[in-house]
Amino acid sequence: MLYVDHHAWLQAWLRRRLGNAADAADLAHDAFLRLIDKPRRFNSAPEARSYLRSMASGMCVDLWRRRSIEQAWLDVLAAQPEAVAPSAEHQVIVLEALYEIDAMLRNLPPKAAQAFVMAVACDMTYREVARELGVSVRMVAKYIAKATLCCLQLEARQTVEELPRGASVPPAATSVPAVS
Amino acid sequence: MTAKPPESHPPEPSHQALEQAAEWFALLLSGEATEAERRRWEVWLGESAEHRQAWQYVERMSRRFDTLKAGSASRLAASAYQQASNVLFQRRQLLLGMAALAGSGLLGWMSWRPGAMPGLAQAWLADHRTGTGEVREMVLADGTRVWLNAASAFNQHFDPVRRRLHLLAGEILIDTAADPSQRPFYVETPQGCLQALGTRFSVRLDDSAQTFLAVYEGAVAVRTQTGSTTVVPAGQQVIFSADSLSAMAPADPAREAWTRGILIARNIPLSEVVDELRHHYHGYLSLAPELAGLRVFGSYPMSDPEAALAMLEQVMPIRVSRKLSWWISIEARG
Repeated sequence: MLYVDHHAWLQAWLRRRLGNAADAADLAHDAFLRLIDKPRRFNSAPEARSYLRSMASGMCVDLWRRRSIEQAWLDVLAAQPEAVAPSAEHQVIVLEALYEIDAMLRNLPPKAAQAFVMAVACDMTYREVARELGVSVRMVAKYIAKATLCCLQLEARQTVEELPRGASVPPAATSVPAVS
Repeated sequence: MTAKPPESHPPEPSHQALEQAAEWFALLLSGEATEAERRRWEVWLGESAEHRQAWQYVERMSRRFDTLKAGSASRLAASAYQQASNVLFQRRQLLLGMAALAGSGLLGWMSWRPGAMPGLAQAWLADHRTGTGEVREMVLADGTRVWLNAASAFNQHFDPVRRRLHLLAGEILIDTAADPSQRPFYVETPQGCLQALGTRFSVRLDDSAQTFLAVYEGAVAVRTQTGSTTVVPAGQQVIFSADSLSAMAPADPAREAWTRGILIARNIPLSEVVDELRHHYHGYLSLAPELAGLRVFGSYPMSDPEAALAMLEQVMPIRVSRKLSWWISIEARG
């Protein structure tokens, strides 16, 4: 029902945003798959539309991010002499890892995210990272703490979302003040 | 209430515990932690199950980098990431700008407040800044009064010929003083430069590369990055980006109420109210996307975000639930 009412305009809307019919069809399909996976009730057609539109624009952003990362990875590989390039299989593994890292760090300022990747994934020292990014070593330490906190919040949220429905989280350290 | 079976679900760490875990991780990763610091970390870890759970998250997070570390290509991957994230960040700024100009806060609902704010890194180093949930009033050397809204920052450069403030983040309300040596007073933002013409006005930066100016007394001359100019008289407001200047609209005197920690809403979208609350709430506030456009009326105490949310819940079709001590989620009721 929802599909019949909304599929056509959603696909048209996506085609306008992406400028590409094949991508639009894929994303519209994925959007409805997500709804089937996690059904929701809407009180009105405008409410359903606004929800679908928000979800679809998030998916456009995801698509764009994945494409940009893939392109950057191909550019870096192309600049390497063939002898030192990683194997085809490893190239794919790295790309998947980059997608995952981007999903974790996408809301941070770019330098904080970059500092985090350099220090954590490449074992670069803070001094090396500072030189690479043109900031102070102290700033690198701040970036790392900031990025770590962001990732920890994600880990914690995922944990809560994975809890079975109805399971209660033990009482929090600070309680909700009663409001009259 | 710690009698629950620990293996089913350990206590969820508080925001503070996560912050501490992140600080410890940053220190230990630097390789420059002293023996004494290492021991303090062990003590911290031993203190509570909450701390140990927070550290579990640290370990789970760092395991996500194992695939990259294992291969020989980690430096290449980091440089690809660096390129991509610069491109993506620029594009996101652009998109946010366009979305806001079109009047819809497209991406706002998922943005992560503490990290999402552009210029945050600069703001950490600013001359004057406020943190989450803090509004401050100050008097500058020339007698000018400045109110700094939550999560805001500016630098001050006074020299013999000019008084200049550089707004880096957030919002300031300025009540200029007459200067004995008659130096002009400027406020600079990434989008342009404002000159006060004897006056009381507020300037706000938003996440979408725009400056918002409201003039309550006197007048303010605006020059955008690309050179468009206008003079905004008392009672009027404008929004400008580096290259475009909105039409003037009547300034809402209610906006000024933030200096007293109050948000007076007259028909503004819920997403804007929540954005404002995020500046005052230590933790994470999520808003279901379908609620973003609901219109809000009334006065809400920003200095007490939880009370404000409870008030909103009473007058709007929303349900406010606390998922974790630091995570409040706003969903549709029913």
